[in-house]
Amino acid sequence: MNLPSSMDFPLLAESLGNLAVLASSGDQSSRILSSLTKNLLTPIPLCFLLGIFCKVIHGGIKIPKELYYSIAIFLLMSIGFVGGHELAHEYHEHGVSTIWKPALATLVLGCITPITAYIILRYLGGLSIADSAGIAAHYGSTSAVTYAVANSFVEQAQHPANSFMPTLVTILEVPGIAIALVLGAALSARQRALQSSGTGRPARESKLGEALYEVMTGQSIMLMAGLLVIGFISTLFMDPKGFQPFYDFFQSKGMLFRGALCIFLLEMGLVAGEKLGDLLKVGPFLVAFGIIVPLLHGFLGVWLGHMAGLNLGGCTVLGAIVSSASYIAAPPAVRLTLPEANPTLSITAALAITFPFNIAFGIPIYFEMAKWVGAQ
Amino acid sequence: MQLVTLKLVTVVGEAIIMDDIAERGMKLGASGHTMTEVMGHGSRSARNVATAGGAKTIKLEFVVSERVAHDIMAFVAEQYLEHYAIIAWLSDVSVMRGEEYVRE
Repeated sequence: MNLPSSMDFPLLAESLGNLAVLASSGDQSSRILSSLTKNLLTPIPLCFLLGIFCKVIHGGIKIPKELYYSIAIFLLMSIGFVGGHELAHEYHEHGVSTIWKPALATLVLGCITPITAYIILRYLGGLSIADSAGIAAHYGSTSAVTYAVANSFVEQAQHPANSFMPTLVTILEVPGIAIALVLGAALSARQRALQSSGTGRPARESKLGEALYEVMTGQSIMLMAGLLVIGFISTLFMDPKGFQPFYDFFQSKGMLFRGALCIFLLEMGLVAGEKLGDLLKVGPFLVAFGIIVPLLHGFLGVWLGHMAGLNLGGCTVLGAIVSSASYIAAPPAVRLTLPEANPTLSITAALAITFPFNIAFGIPIYFEMAKWVGAQ
Repeated sequence: MQLVTLKLVTVVGEAIIMDDIAERGMKLGASGHTMTEVMGHGSRSARNVATAGGAKTIKLEFVVSERVAHDIMAFVAEQYLEHYAIIAWLSDVSVMRGEEYVRE
């Protein structure tokens, strides 16, 4: 277990030094390439690609909606329960000393990423306030499936992430959406007030509170955070023999989880394949945004994670979840709060650009980034 | 058998806003409503992407007096017509036990 090192300058210098080496080294690029191929040729991304391929050739794969929902429930419960169990062990051994820095770093990242995304979209991309804030809300939040894939990746690479990562996923889910929506709602209300002063049109009722409530009580948070608490409490208070069957079901040596993830990713591939046509509609800026901004956010996640004392797997996973964009919790919240935002832009960016990019290339890149900054 | 002439308000649109419209309809004087999940396509269907697991379209119906019907239509027009994938229409219906649906 890598205990947190202090956020001191030597560590920062070392990280930057390592980063400087990466650009010039030919070895590095061949290592990244082999890491990318190794990741691509595993069942999870391949199932995703199969889904896309099937959609493109109008093939016949169909995942029943109820199965998709059931698997989503299992994945979220499993992430929460196993996370809660590991958190209880961590807490038992070290108290909160190993957790508070990564938790704080995650909260900071959750607050920074919607703002960087908004600034890039609004001022570099020239998008409207509502569109910028709507997309920023997606990128400020996180995707639990990207977490699951990243976690499987680091486990397969024999560098399992710190045990409390699911806690960080739940911390990251809400603030990004909240900040982007508050920002977007305030700025577009001001703009509307300026434009419509004197026209006498009735004001639209604000749905901000309702939308935020729905994000916080939505399925992903309720299941993940709820099972995290259940896993935590039952580990601390239950007889280990009685606890074991529950753990075996949810953890199942990763078997059930990874198999279910393959089916889930197949469905995600089918959905992403359907959205491929929208790539032409959204234009080159958003395509570039959907790749470059995750890399930027991912690097921030890896770097701050390292500063906060996460191990190699932990930094990789934090990079992946910070870079990922929400496509379950964010869309309804944005639709309610910023109805003038075009949902095609945000959904296409999150689901058809960033998600596939992260699954295929992003996660191994964050893994290499984590090595560069010196995580172990 | 006596039939009472009332208005049928039908609103078809994005699932995400339908609970709000149903709730407001009840507050404006409807004594009940029916919701059905439907399928279809319209010029604004691309906006209807916001529910988890894919788009859902809902048909919401109220049988109400003319005054309540107009209040519901006005609410839908003010709050939702501009930015959402939604359509609403009024029709005359002859209703059994219709007097129960007028709360005035």
